[in-house]
Amino acid sequence: MATRRGFLSGLLAAGLTPLPGWADAGAPAFLSAAQMPDGSYMLVGLDGAGAIRFRQPLPERGHAAAAHPLRPEAVAFARRPGRFALVIDCAGGALKATLDAPEGRHFYGHGAFSPDGALLFTTENDYAAARGVIGVWDVASGYTRIDEFDSGGTGPHEMRLMPDGETLVIANGGIETHPDAGREKLNIPFMKPNLAYAGLDGRLAEVVELPPALNKNSIRHLALSGDGLVGFAMQWQGDTRDAPAVLGLHRRGSAPRLLQGGDHARLEGYAGSVAMTPDGAQVAISSPRGGLVQVFDTSSGALLREVGMADVCGLACDGGGFLVTSGLGRVGRLGEAGTQQDLRFDNHLVPVG
Amino acid sequence: MKALSLSLVLLPLPLWAATPEDRIEEVLNQHILPGFEALAAQTEALKTTAAETCDPQAPALRDAWAAAFDAWLGVSHLRFGPTERDERAFALAYWPDTKGFTPRTLGSLIDAQDPAAETQEAFSHVSIAARGFYAMELLLFDDAFAGEEIAGYRCTLVQAVARDIDANADAILADWQGGFADDLRAPGDGAYRDTNEVMQELYGALTTGLQFTSDTRLGRPLGTFDRPRPTRAEAYRSERSQRHVVLSLTALRDLALHLAADDAEVAEEMAAAFDPAIQRAQELNDPTFAGVADPMARIRIEGLQTEIDAIRTAVAADLGPALGVTSGFNALDGD
Repeated sequence: MATRRGFLSGLLAAGLTPLPGWADAGAPAFLSAAQMPDGSYMLVGLDGAGAIRFRQPLPERGHAAAAHPLRPEAVAFARRPGRFALVIDCAGGALKATLDAPEGRHFYGHGAFSPDGALLFTTENDYAAARGVIGVWDVASGYTRIDEFDSGGTGPHEMRLMPDGETLVIANGGIETHPDAGREKLNIPFMKPNLAYAGLDGRLAEVVELPPALNKNSIRHLALSGDGLVGFAMQWQGDTRDAPAVLGLHRRGSAPRLLQGGDHARLEGYAGSVAMTPDGAQVAISSPRGGLVQVFDTSSGALLREVGMADVCGLACDGGGFLVTSGLGRVGRLGEAGTQQDLRFDNHLVPVG
Repeated sequence: MKALSLSLVLLPLPLWAATPEDRIEEVLNQHILPGFEALAAQTEALKTTAAETCDPQAPALRDAWAAAFDAWLGVSHLRFGPTERDERAFALAYWPDTKGFTPRTLGSLIDAQDPAAETQEAFSHVSIAARGFYAMELLLFDDAFAGEEIAGYRCTLVQAVARDIDANADAILADWQGGFADDLRAPGDGAYRDTNEVMQELYGALTTGLQFTSDTRLGRPLGTFDRPRPTRAEAYRSERSQRHVVLSLTALRDLALHLAADDAEVAEEMAAAFDPAIQRAQELNDPTFAGVADPMARIRIEGLQTEIDAIRTAVAADLGPALGVTSGFNALDGD
């Protein structure tokens, strides 16, 4: 007789037990690295209202995180040139595993999972060769390093999985650094950033460069719409007063478009984060230097909104609008007062679940 | 209300009273403009000397190059506005050269006997890697470029580099004198919107300069204990590595003190932070930083790096607040 208990043990034996998913109570809606008042560093989980759901200590300053597509699990990355990444159980905040960058590599602070959550990809620096590398980690075996491939450029920073589930889009910032010289930029006059698309097997599918006069516009952060429109945020390495647009849009197979408007000078040539609405209608960038968020219409390229906020950087889509965080501890919906937390939010606000 | 106004009146006035405008004026008149004037004068002398003698061994030429290079170290931290137009600063000083572009580009110019070296106009379009003080260092001091068989073209090249250095120094000075200094004095319509932006720029030049000397001038040759990198020291061929650290710290100290202006307490803090580092740099007795590969000498170079990092801390703790400049958690981050 098939009892419920028998059915369940059969599932267990087959390894088919439903695992706790992101919808489980307690899971946060966003992750952010942060610095606490005592100077220590944390990864915090936030709910949609900006309240803190968990805190997990980090050994050094964090940067961004990658959320597992199925399990309530995220990988928090060290800020470059860090060598650690921590796997955090987001339902409770517990530390599940740690990743150490292999010899001769350091992390850049971003990563992405394969659609089934079996593989984690990390942006890394092969610094002896000044070569951008994507590290490949096997999740099931406890995040073991199994492979790596060329990022298609120098200084890969953010990387996202495209909606097709089989392509990674990589922001190769173009800037050469070496841990011996800290965060010092070593190749500014000759830097060559690009936006690269690669298969999960590392095969380069498309490399997009801006015109040569824009070679100092470091492509660093990415946002995606559900149908594959890529928003890329840049950081101008030339004189601030000459800063061109620091936001671009790209769709596979077409030429990139650059967007600028409003109080462009206030951005100081520096976009820290970018977010796009799932329908691809709006894209937003934040500039911590100018304390400004700009929202653009992606089809017309027109500026829709400008909102000032001191030391703003973290930026994510939240329903139809945008959620922002600042280095001064503010968190809230764009344009609203939000709430104040007793910490400093780091550059990125990562949606999860 | 009466009580409030009274208490305001009774607040003790600080002994110093430098306004932001005063500080900017002082930095301009006593640091920036004299620095770029000296650079233009020394590069003019270099150009003249090179026109007379282009023998790489000639003391007159080497001295003129060294004096002009010294002058560059006095202003090399002022990387904004005029130095950034047309890649002038990189054309004057492209270093570190992690990919070896400078020797490679010079090599191809020589192999091709490239006529670009014959006129200033043409040479100004040559890769920045083959121009400026570091390119000339290779031409004057590197064995790879010392051969008698290339003497003729090398002479052309030395003169071209010297002319180009002088043209860039002149262009930078002309821009400073021709309006950019006024943009700092009277922000609004020009390059800066307000004095706070100017202050941010000057303060940023100080902190970036300190970081460059610590991370790059010292960090690159230090490498790691297991893998020191003496041939990554700046200008080691001409034995100027240690000298550049001393000169850069001296220039940055000068900027810090002029930013402090008549704020005696902050000025004292700055001097107290800079002086031991400068003294230690002067006493290293290791012109090329070859000592990075020697455990005992290495400790002293690492100690210098620690002292420079202590200056950075003091600048952020004492000078920044006095100037009303704060670095946001994310704002100066570079991620």
